[in-house]
Amino acid sequence: MSTRYDAVLDALGDRTRRTVLERLRDGPLPVVAIARDLPVSRPAVSQHLKVLKDAGLVVDRQEGTRRIYAIDPNGLALLRAYVEAFWQGALLRYAQAAAARPPPDAAQ
Amino acid sequence: MAQQPSGPGGLLEPVRQSVRVRRPIEAAFELFTRDIGTWWPVGTHHARGDVVGVVFETRLGGRIYERCRDGAEADWGHVLAWEPPHRVVFTWAPGRSPGGPTEVEVRFTAEDPATTRVDLEHRGWERLGDLAAETRSSYLNGWPGVMRLYATAAGAAWRTESDPGPA
Repeated sequence: MSTRYDAVLDALGDRTRRTVLERLRDGPLPVVAIARDLPVSRPAVSQHLKVLKDAGLVVDRQEGTRRIYAIDPNGLALLRAYVEAFWQGALLRYAQAAAARPPPDAAQ
Repeated sequence: MAQQPSGPGGLLEPVRQSVRVRRPIEAAFELFTRDIGTWWPVGTHHARGDVVGVVFETRLGGRIYERCRDGAEADWGHVLAWEPPHRVVFTWAPGRSPGGPTEVEVRFTAEDPATTRVDLEHRGWERLGDLAAETRSSYLNGWPGVMRLYATAAGAAWRTESDPGPA
């Protein structure tokens, strides 16, 4: 699991790849649309898409002569699970502290 | 485990967690804020490490930071809304935050004079990079510890957005 997590974080550690992924937030796009106005070459964009795909952050499909990319929710769900676990851990300690110390006089 | 929000947009929804504590609302609020250093799991949840204390400045604009053994301080965020004993909002960027800080809101609701429900919302994932930065930070600070706590939490009286529990 940590290997997959590393792959997701490494993939998102690059600004261009984050931009690529954010362009897919509103729906699937062909490579040409993803690459539009990006300050990198088409082959470079394809390489970034491959890294995102290997990390489980995007999926692709062939439509005629075009390859369409879309966000794969699984990769991002992994990150969310980590944030949820982080707060669950913190709130657990908070609840334990509340239970461990006698509450002040509730009538005050 | 967590139910997957539908579509990529859902993945940027706020992360929500709730817990119920047997404390009057004022005491629950003070324990969470002023007394955060007495319960925060600094061993696993820290920005820089080797933490000797956590400070929550209880006022609008107050800093939230960790104190390290070598005397250094590492910021976690600062208070955006201060409404004791009902609500506190603070920025959240422990360690690093290339895309800008995310935001945490904690609401306290008295269920009866001795019981308080605490609802936490961690939001601001408009940029995918922010979600990555937060999790990168969590991971570097000891993922196994977080998972251990998580496993313990599974047996406790938890309620999360993704697990509404028995009706």
